[in-house]
Amino acid sequence: MTSAISLGPAVTRRAQARLGLLLVLPTLALTVVFFLIPLVTAFFYSFVDYDGISENPTFVGFGNFVEMFNDPEVWHALGNNLVWIFFGTIGPVAIGFGIAVLLSGVKRGSVVYRLVFFFPYVLPGVAIAVVWGWIYSPRSGWLNQTLEAVGLGALRHGWLGEPGIALYAVLVTAIWAVTGFCVVVFLSALGNVDPELVDAARIDGANAMQRSWYVVLPQIMPVFLMVVTLTLISGFGVFDIIYVMTAGGPANSTNVLGIYAYQNAFTLNRIGYATTIALLITALSIPFAIALNRLQRRLSLEGA
Amino acid sequence: MTTLVERPMGRQQDPDGGEAHVTVTREPVAGRRKSGRSLAESLGRHTVLTVLALFTAFPVLLIVSTALKTPADVRVNPFGLFSSFSFENLATAWTVGRFGEYAWNSVLLSVPTTILVVLLSTAAGYAFARLQFWGRGVLFSLIMLGLLVPFFTYMIPLYFELKTIGLLDTLLGVILVMTTGGLAFGTFFMRSFFLNLPSELEQAARVDGCSEFGIFWRVMLPLVRPGMLALAVFMFLYTWNEFLIPLLYLPGGELRPLTTGLYMFTAGRAIDIGPMAAGTLITILPVLLVFLVLQRQVTQGFLAGAVKG
Repeated sequence: MTSAISLGPAVTRRAQARLGLLLVLPTLALTVVFFLIPLVTAFFYSFVDYDGISENPTFVGFGNFVEMFNDPEVWHALGNNLVWIFFGTIGPVAIGFGIAVLLSGVKRGSVVYRLVFFFPYVLPGVAIAVVWGWIYSPRSGWLNQTLEAVGLGALRHGWLGEPGIALYAVLVTAIWAVTGFCVVVFLSALGNVDPELVDAARIDGANAMQRSWYVVLPQIMPVFLMVVTLTLISGFGVFDIIYVMTAGGPANSTNVLGIYAYQNAFTLNRIGYATTIALLITALSIPFAIALNRLQRRLSLEGA
Repeated sequence: MTTLVERPMGRQQDPDGGEAHVTVTREPVAGRRKSGRSLAESLGRHTVLTVLALFTAFPVLLIVSTALKTPADVRVNPFGLFSSFSFENLATAWTVGRFGEYAWNSVLLSVPTTILVVLLSTAAGYAFARLQFWGRGVLFSLIMLGLLVPFFTYMIPLYFELKTIGLLDTLLGVILVMTTGGLAFGTFFMRSFFLNLPSELEQAARVDGCSEFGIFWRVMLPLVRPGMLALAVFMFLYTWNEFLIPLLYLPGGELRPLTTGLYMFTAGRAIDIGPMAAGTLITILPVLLVFLVLQRQVTQGFLAGAVKG
């Protein structure tokens, strides 16, 4: 900090310190009250048994953690989280990359395509869940009616009511909702790909598939990794689409950790245990959040 | 550079440099054959993209068309395009389905939250970007921690904290929780805008005898208006769409916004599809409008906001 010719550095420094604290104060106060205090309390809750209504918390040491690791439903929900993350990442990234490659060669109407593809991403999860719930509905749903109409009536299913299928049906909805985001990110990354290299590969006889895989993809790798990490993190955070479409059912077949924590806290009144499960979600997603942070810093450095 | 010349006018946001470049490097001999193939290729691209776009748009079109049919038409012809047009389903949802109340609650939650986040994170973003003060690094890290920690981690303790301080089941409580949720990202977002401004501006103003606050208010603030707008659009959509926070912290049901209202309306009952589609349409209508009018800000905000997940 040089500057402050008219006032002198000491005066400027004091004025800056005062203004700085003043401007940060409201944000800091809210962060402390509505984020840091409950965050610290969460660690306390994970060591107690508490029904949330009357009884005072009872200290149980590592009891909640021991119970969590022995609770088959936790493992089952975690398994669903992993299935969700696997398909919920591969699906949108692959489809989104494909659409972006197709779209990057389009001149006419590319804005319209982009709007259409991105729109589901800004819709409220509840609205998405409600509409797809209707599409999947066993008797009057659009999907079954269409299957019937085209002579594939044998493929009719109670999409959200059959334990073996429900999770994948909900996944299709989630992939539908997220893909447009990948399209837009990849499209802007593709804009920075060196066209000379792509043309060179074309002249050397590389087909579209090979050009995408060997020439384009390596150039947009940081963006690619960022999108993958981002979808991974949101995979641990999934809540509203599953909650509204199936509430974790049927027979817990679509249960994920977030919903299991919610159920424990607000239907079973097991506050301490629910918080412990929530901490497990944190433990799983924080490494990816840190990786994402690194990637983004690298990307912004490259962009500058 | 050549691609810039070759590119057909304007439309700088279209990353179509690759295709435009082909014309430059094309071999004269193979020219005719290639242009024939590229026409076919372009047709192919459009066909595939159109099919995918229709698939993407279909659920939204289904909502709109069903909501605007007559109830009788919905019953007879639930999936066809409309052969009739009426606002009856919307009226039913608005009054009987209480979506009028829900919409008002959504406004009462989203608008103040958006304003608060934009104002507070602009102030904090400026301080962290351009002012020297004690504890700057530590305070910034504390606030940025919010970008790292999932909401699940502290949602349950926050419930009991709100109960203790009397903010559970109040609009104010939800506004403050959502505002805090937006501040980490907002501060980060606005800070990057302030970091990009040249420091000569600041020094010139200081030489002219401008106070530190004056530099912020009169010199810097007008320059980050595009950032504030993008943040406002992003925050509005985020708060409008938020489901879990009102579900948790407005348990009474009187103050329900559209998201939890729509959930309660459709959950656990045989649904009358007309009003349900109408309720869904009411829920997404502001999103649709904001998106169409301010698409650039939406994309910008969401691309940056994706940090929050």
